[in-house]
Amino acid sequence: MDRREWLGMFGIIVCSPTIGCKGYQYGHVIKPDAPNMVGSHEAGAEVFDPLVDEAVAKLLARQQTVTPDTPCGPDGLPCPKTICFVGIENKSMEDIGDFKDKLYQQIDSRLLEASTFRAISRRMVDAALFETRLRPDSLMIPDNMRLFTAVLERNGAPLDYLLYAVLTSGTTTRNSSTQRDYDLTLELVNVHTGVTDKQSAEVRKGYHKTAAGKVWNYNPFKR
Amino acid sequence: MPEFVAESTLNLRPIVVLQRWWLDSRIPFGKSKFGLVCFVLIGLVGCSTHAKRLAIPRNHFYDGRMEECKKGLEKLSKSRHDKDVVNLDLAIVDLLSGSPKNAEQRLKLARNRFEELESESLTEKTVSMWTDDQVRSYAGEDYEKILIRAFLALTNLLTDGADAESYTLQLQAKHEELVQACAERTKSDTPPSYKPLPIGFYLRGLLREATLRDYDDAVRNYEATARLLPLCQPIQWDLNRAMHGTHSQPGNGVVYVFALVGRGPYKVEVSEQPTSDALLIADRIVSAVGPYQLPPTIAPIKVPDIALPPTDVDAVGVSVDGTTIGATYSIADVGQLAMDSYRANRSSIVARAVARRVIKKATVAAAKETMKTDGLASVGMDIAGIAWEATEGADTRCWGLLPNDIQVMRIEAPKGSSQLQLTPLRGGRPVAASKQLSVSVVDGRNTYVLCWFPDARSQSPVIVAP
Repeated sequence: MDRREWLGMFGIIVCSPTIGCKGYQYGHVIKPDAPNMVGSHEAGAEVFDPLVDEAVAKLLARQQTVTPDTPCGPDGLPCPKTICFVGIENKSMEDIGDFKDKLYQQIDSRLLEASTFRAISRRMVDAALFETRLRPDSLMIPDNMRLFTAVLERNGAPLDYLLYAVLTSGTTTRNSSTQRDYDLTLELVNVHTGVTDKQSAEVRKGYHKTAAGKVWNYNPFKR
Repeated sequence: MPEFVAESTLNLRPIVVLQRWWLDSRIPFGKSKFGLVCFVLIGLVGCSTHAKRLAIPRNHFYDGRMEECKKGLEKLSKSRHDKDVVNLDLAIVDLLSGSPKNAEQRLKLARNRFEELESESLTEKTVSMWTDDQVRSYAGEDYEKILIRAFLALTNLLTDGADAESYTLQLQAKHEELVQACAERTKSDTPPSYKPLPIGFYLRGLLREATLRDYDDAVRNYEATARLLPLCQPIQWDLNRAMHGTHSQPGNGVVYVFALVGRGPYKVEVSEQPTSDALLIADRIVSAVGPYQLPPTIAPIKVPDIALPPTDVDAVGVSVDGTTIGATYSIADVGQLAMDSYRANRSSIVARAVARRVIKKATVAAAKETMKTDGLASVGMDIAGIAWEATEGADTRCWGLLPNDIQVMRIEAPKGSSQLQLTPLRGGRPVAASKQLSVSVVDGRNTYVLCWFPDARSQSPVIVAP
């Protein structure tokens, strides 16, 4: 190495600190119409948003159907059904973390927007669960149901329906690629008759270890 | 010189190599040699490390002299490079002085700062190659990043508990991220040997159970805890309760006793002797066969190591209103986590130290070549090179006031005031006097107690919330 070469290298090393970057974090607001980020390891907004939209829309569509048995008000319009949204059960393979409360609020808000239902506040539901110390999954036992509805009625919130949301998943694996089907099921139970209505929505998602995994597993030539 | 090459390569004994180099230096004995010895010795003293600077505040802390400890730490925090890590120690002092809100603020600051520092500064990286790792901003060890979130959750539970769940989620997310990052660094699919801490799952489980609604989440988290602690019977009880029972019977509340037990891990400076010897032999060979003499590796390569002080407390016995309930059980073995996390990253620390030495030697050799030095001037530059290398110190910055273990005990008790008795135990036997305290149990709600038993002699602060 001659002197000029050495000096050149020395100069590069000395100057390099000035180019150094510092660890900052940046944030930006996402436009409402921009697509969601797609989670690389588990489900996120790209899965849950369409699941909620579809499941709630299907349930509302079914419940808006007016039959001769549907109770109507003095104006002739069907009375809104009082509904108690008990909660979401996550039975999928993944931990949904902070999405659980978000999903609850999303579903609850959509139901409130529709005139078909009149939802009971979550705080009242929590207070009734606290008072009775009943588990949400044990409310279907007749005695428990009676106790729970009695407490809500006493608190000024009589109810017609219990709504449960269940998140499930199914996984298919092929070498280093995985397909996971996410289902959100909304189950509406009439506390007076025990009649159930159920609607579900599904979103399928593929996870791959390589960038070519998607093309390899999901192309028109695959059966 | 050729004879020297033959012998050094044949014997490969660093001591002989060093002696030969010393004899070969041909400096007339007298003033010059005396000056050389002094210069090298001064160089070998090296710079003070964080471990040494932290020793006195640590002693104050364990003696229960919180004010003096805080003053000492605040003094240390004025140094730009120590500021972030000392903030963690100050958080512990604040927490145990009964100011969990201040502790939370400090921990949040440290968390955000370490997040920022995850992408390395090229400037600091370059400068550290010519000095040592202590000039880099301290971005925290992997285990510290996990524990910051665990302590954030604990401190928040001792205030209003509004963010505790978020912190437990952050803890789990951070762990996943670190496992991924470590696997990418080592270019292998196998995750690092260190396991996630059960505390994250456990805290999340207990918080979800306390909603009296999200038992499915509690089951999921207790299951994860049970997988990590398969022999822990109380976790099985928690799991069973979350699957089939309820948080508490009507009229009852729950007290969680979190015990911070033992003195935790901290870093010390050690000489990486095998690597130093190998480098000495290597630089002698290069010096013998090449056109220039490289400064010999006399000053050993220094790297940090984890020290785990012995502890004489291994659990805390809990009695309520005179009835013995049992002993706390571990949900976060901090010492083990620190050791595992250090082992996973040790190779890169040693590699960086070796690269630094090579760069320093290359710089001295290049300077010699540029100035065309020989004889006494060359020896002088070698000595300067040795002194330069000897000023290196290991980066012993660490969260120095951690416990060795975080343990827990769950007690369901009737609402109202209850008398709690906490006794430090070793092998199931009391080793020091008990602490008495009164807790207020709320119907259907959790009450949290945090106590610290570093050893049988130290002060043992206890905090109750809400």
